[in-house]
Amino acid sequence: MELLIDKVSKKFKDKKAVDNISLELTPGVWGLLGANGAGKTTLMRMIAGIMQPTSGQVLYDGVPIQTLGEGYRDVFGFLPQEFGFYPEFTVKDYLAYVAALKGLTERESRRRIRELLERVSLTDVYNKKIARLSGGMKRRVGIAQALLNDPEILILDEPTGGLDPGERVRFRNLLSEFAHDRIVLISTHIVPDVEYIATCHAIIRDGRLLATGTTEELVRLVEGKVWSCTIPARAVPEYESRLQIISLRNENDGSVSIRYLAENPCNDISVPSVPRLEDLYLWLFPQGGVENPKRTSRKKGGIHR
Amino acid sequence: MRIFYLELKRVLKSKLTWILLALALLLSVLLAWLPTTYCYSNYTDEDGNEVNLTGLASIAHEKERQAEAAGIVTPQRVREAVETYQACLASYGVTESYDLPEGVYEREILPIAPLLHGVKEAFADPDTGMAPAIMEIDLEQIDDYYSVCETRIASLMQMEQPDSPRAQSKAVEMYRNTKKPFEVYPGMTSAVMDYQNIMGFLVLLFCVVIAAPIFSADYQSGADDILRCTRHGRVSLGIAKMFAALFISGAAFVLCAAVHILVADSLFGWECTRTSIQMMYSIVTLADMNIGGLQFLFAVAGLLSVLASVSFTLFLSARCRTTVSSLASSLVFCIAPVVISMTAPGALGAWLCSILPASGTSIQASVLYAITDFQFLNLAGLSVWMPYAMIGACMIEIPLFAFLAVRSYCRHALN
Repeated sequence: MELLIDKVSKKFKDKKAVDNISLELTPGVWGLLGANGAGKTTLMRMIAGIMQPTSGQVLYDGVPIQTLGEGYRDVFGFLPQEFGFYPEFTVKDYLAYVAALKGLTERESRRRIRELLERVSLTDVYNKKIARLSGGMKRRVGIAQALLNDPEILILDEPTGGLDPGERVRFRNLLSEFAHDRIVLISTHIVPDVEYIATCHAIIRDGRLLATGTTEELVRLVEGKVWSCTIPARAVPEYESRLQIISLRNENDGSVSIRYLAENPCNDISVPSVPRLEDLYLWLFPQGGVENPKRTSRKKGGIHR
Repeated sequence: MRIFYLELKRVLKSKLTWILLALALLLSVLLAWLPTTYCYSNYTDEDGNEVNLTGLASIAHEKERQAEAAGIVTPQRVREAVETYQACLASYGVTESYDLPEGVYEREILPIAPLLHGVKEAFADPDTGMAPAIMEIDLEQIDDYYSVCETRIASLMQMEQPDSPRAQSKAVEMYRNTKKPFEVYPGMTSAVMDYQNIMGFLVLLFCVVIAAPIFSADYQSGADDILRCTRHGRVSLGIAKMFAALFISGAAFVLCAAVHILVADSLFGWECTRTSIQMMYSIVTLADMNIGGLQFLFAVAGLLSVLASVSFTLFLSARCRTTVSSLASSLVFCIAPVVISMTAPGALGAWLCSILPASGTSIQASVLYAITDFQFLNLAGLSVWMPYAMIGACMIEIPLFAFLAVRSYCRHALN
């Protein structure tokens, strides 16, 4: 099983939302990381077949998805960033509606809905109108509909938005179980959501693929660039102005422990810190996505300068 | 079929749908009853007291007073009625009935009034179209009453369609084929038909409001992204949505029209439906039918118009990205025939009113008024009576826009 994104581009008027992306998705959980506006949603919509690429194509097991048509949609599950539902429907009605559209028989549909409601802990509210559910519950209904046809390819666009910490953990576990022998692509800018469950990541910026690789491979790219030290509280503004600080923690003695990104330590007391995927993300997208000219284009398991 | 059923269930689960359908049904009853409230009779009883009657009591009174006029309108009966009229007015030395002393009209003219309908029009001047006073009509000529009417339609068409001899000859031929002698059964007024028109227009508006968000609401909420990623989420779902909207609209209109006609005819009397259309509207109306037939034909035309409008609305809904834009544009097209009929007279207005989907039951520009009018659409030597053009246009538009709606839905957002 393989989903190949082959030199896919998407242009809206003058703006290239996705620029010549090639990616080979194999079974496992994939994290698609990028700041807001990086082109994640556009890429996912093209993978879902609901948007036509300007150039390039998406192939499932070597066949263009447009050619596969219903055959592709039969093995496909999708949760878009904005989960649109029918306000007049109850959870059960909505899932039955989507199940019918996915071609499940009534019997299969009932069984599958019961099973999924248990898995996403929505059994108690199955007869409640979706409009009256909390944001997290609505999101879980969205996840349940994506899983109705037991898809081989599952695409989730920002699936954890609105979920509380407990729900996020349950969601991660559910996906880890589900991803066996399946392709799961999760787009997010909340790095911890995919850091531990994704087998591979693809990082995009300005519509271009910056890097791909496993968490370990990608983290290695910022090895030696993450530092920590303890400084007096009054020095924090000065450090903030010249460093990219990842985290700040007030200590009991009035000092502040900082963790920061830099090519070299900024003082004698800084010690190297173990890098995490989030550090790479911040290295690539400093100040919420502003491009650092020194950190540029892609290569598998690495970043081109 | 299952998807169609689920889509039907989805639309019917909306509170707005039920509110609009319930309102439509309520208005059907109300609009059938409303014309009775305009009926008014006034007479002086045996004790010399003035009696005023309104509503159903007035209808019953007039029916009783005009009972003898009911039946087949033979030239002989028309002649007798005109004779009675002329004698009555002559005996009081007046030339118009409104100059008669109080109570005389009710006593002597009212009972024969249904037979006098159209007499003045039949004897109108062929060149000016001016109708004479009944007092001026030569009784001898009434013996050939229906020939006079046929002559009248010829002269009328020469005035209405001077540049289209084909339309003139068609109209004469159509009129010649109407069943004569006409029949009249007093009690019902043309307001009943006007209110059927209003009812149809309101139901059309409600159906359009229900149909306008069918596709666009899904685009706006993002629900569409999920649905079109499913196996049957494109063509099958598009078709199911289209049929569900047409089914609900069609069923709503049929129910409302049936209720309206049942209530109206029950209130005014079922025998009134046997009245020839010419005895309620122009004596030279071209259609060969009675009021019952007109009610049925207008209901069928209204149904086609509602389905065509809903079909067109679905097309707009599949093209628009928001419910507001689809609803606004649909409503503009619903009221367009009303505006066009007021602002664009002549051939252009007639053409536009004929091809717009909502024309069938629109206010002022409906099939009802087209049936009782004498307009023909002329193109390349062809002359088509306007009601035929309106009904034909709707029959083409229903499948055409339904197809375009599904096609637009399937292609939506791909680019």
